[in-house]
Amino acid sequence: MNFRSEWTKVLAFVFKNVMITKRNVFSLFEILFWPTVGLLSVGLLATYLRLGPDMTAFILIGVISMSVVHVCQIDIAYVLLYDVWGKCIKHEFIAPVNSVHLILGSWLTGICRSSVIFVLLAFFSSHAFHFDFFKPGVGALGLFLLGLFLTAALVGITVCILVLVFGHKAEVAAWSLVSLMLLICGIYYPISMLPAPVMAVAKIIPLTYFLEYFRSFYGFPSDPNGFLAKGYGFSFLYLGLAWIGLELVIRNAKRTGILIKLSE
Amino acid sequence: MSSYIYISKNVDYKASARRPTRVSLWKSQGFPLFGIGNIVVWRYILEIFVKGLILAPVVRARNVWKSFRSGWFRGTRNEVLRGIDLDIEEGRIFGILGPNGAGKTTFLSILSTLLLPDRGQVEVLGMDVLRGGHGVRQRINISSGNANFLWSLTVRENLTFYGMLYGLGGADRKERVDEAIALFELGNCEKTSFDKLSTGMKQRLALAKSMLNAPEILFLDEPTVGLDPQVSLKIREQIRDIQREKGFTIVLTTHNMAEAEYLCDRIAFLKEGRILTVGTANDLKRNIRLGDVITVVYEGILRSIQLKGLPGVIDSCLSDGRCQFVVDSAQKRMSAILHGLWRAGVIVREVRTSETNLEEVFLEFSK
Repeated sequence: MNFRSEWTKVLAFVFKNVMITKRNVFSLFEILFWPTVGLLSVGLLATYLRLGPDMTAFILIGVISMSVVHVCQIDIAYVLLYDVWGKCIKHEFIAPVNSVHLILGSWLTGICRSSVIFVLLAFFSSHAFHFDFFKPGVGALGLFLLGLFLTAALVGITVCILVLVFGHKAEVAAWSLVSLMLLICGIYYPISMLPAPVMAVAKIIPLTYFLEYFRSFYGFPSDPNGFLAKGYGFSFLYLGLAWIGLELVIRNAKRTGILIKLSE
Repeated sequence: MSSYIYISKNVDYKASARRPTRVSLWKSQGFPLFGIGNIVVWRYILEIFVKGLILAPVVRARNVWKSFRSGWFRGTRNEVLRGIDLDIEEGRIFGILGPNGAGKTTFLSILSTLLLPDRGQVEVLGMDVLRGGHGVRQRINISSGNANFLWSLTVRENLTFYGMLYGLGGADRKERVDEAIALFELGNCEKTSFDKLSTGMKQRLALAKSMLNAPEILFLDEPTVGLDPQVSLKIREQIRDIQREKGFTIVLTTHNMAEAEYLCDRIAFLKEGRILTVGTANDLKRNIRLGDVITVVYEGILRSIQLKGLPGVIDSCLSDGRCQFVVDSAQKRMSAILHGLWRAGVIVREVRTSETNLEEVFLEFSK
């Protein structure tokens, strides 16, 4: 295996996403408009409700995490959706690339885009709501962000799987799947508020643990190391399963002919 | 004295799975080639020559079946390919003809690893498409009619992206992209986004993209569909010139008989998922036995009985001052027919011949 050649294949997907994003003025809304609007509206609501600093921190961590996960996962979803919309998906599957190139390339783009959003939102939240995102330290923040990126990869791969099984009908998953997390993983409220069956689901989603880990630095009682271990444990387990799932779905797509149908 | 024997064709793709190379096979330094003691040497040489003379197929399909299921519950199964057997030799342009729904695109998609067969074995460049798909994809490429690419990227950006997918980096990629742009005369629109290109330019971009990895086999799925005759002709000429220059194998599906006749060295006719016949365009015409037509305008009295027994005549008909003969070969039978008419005492005023074209063969096979 030629490492340079394999790396070029990964960069191909970075190139594709970057060039399309550059040309698409609406992508600015995804990067700047919606996350900023979300942060400001929630932050202002917290101010209006006269929430204390700990509660404001709880909510702002949730909002910013949600934006980071959403933007990062949508880049992975876009890597297939751009081809589906352009009816040119077959060209990528005829080329000597595999799911690793596809996901890794788009994930790297997603990490870059969502890092920009994180910096922007951290800046806003610091100036507008006096919330210090860097309080836990750079190391803890790095581990937290990596957890968010892994969660985004999981959601993105799931969207890719759905697109390869259901075609156009699954496009909506790119925006809706992440909203399910908003409901389940304790973005705006602790998961203890959820009904028992939903809470059981929340407990097997890694994002829940990453949020609890980071909130522990803002005075919420917890076991940071335990949360981190569980978050990463679930993330890597699901990533492995998602990868196997994606490979199986690609193979199935070659049996059913959906790659050709999506290119017509 | 020193002797060298060179074989310029790759004899066994499966063993090497590499590009054909010139192999220095055997060198003898003052070695007596003639003699009883050299049976082993002669046998070895003979074996290599026999293998070299018989071209190894670059595509080998055996008993390939493919069906598609429609509907989730109680869905129906539609058999598209029914036991395809086919060998395609290296360095040829091989055409796959057939009516709509014959399975041409499905077969091409299986060869290009985009589809998996239900049953059967498919080898491309000596590699099994089921197990060695990645290796196959590195050495093939495909271009389809009604080409689609990322619509917001320019011609150059699209080519750069697909070049990167083949692992081409830096200067090498730029060189290949430049070459492809020059080859298909895309220089004027290299900064134009795909959605603003004309249909002809889109098709040229598809062909340019398919040349980026210098493929050993190029699959062309109806490359001139939807193009006006002038652009079609130009693209056909480009395909032929490039194939002659680079010497790779082309597997082409088309509905256009003129295209098939112009480009293809050999043709397979596919109908309802089965190969009906394989051969050159002339073979197909001969096999179908439609024959050439000789039309003679004459003066005098001629009766149909006088036309009986003329050699090579499949059918004949008479009308006012005109007779028409369907013969196996117009070139071969012309003199005998004219001689027969002279013996019958008529004056020949005009003779016209028309050969069976591939379109007639197509219609005959499609029945």
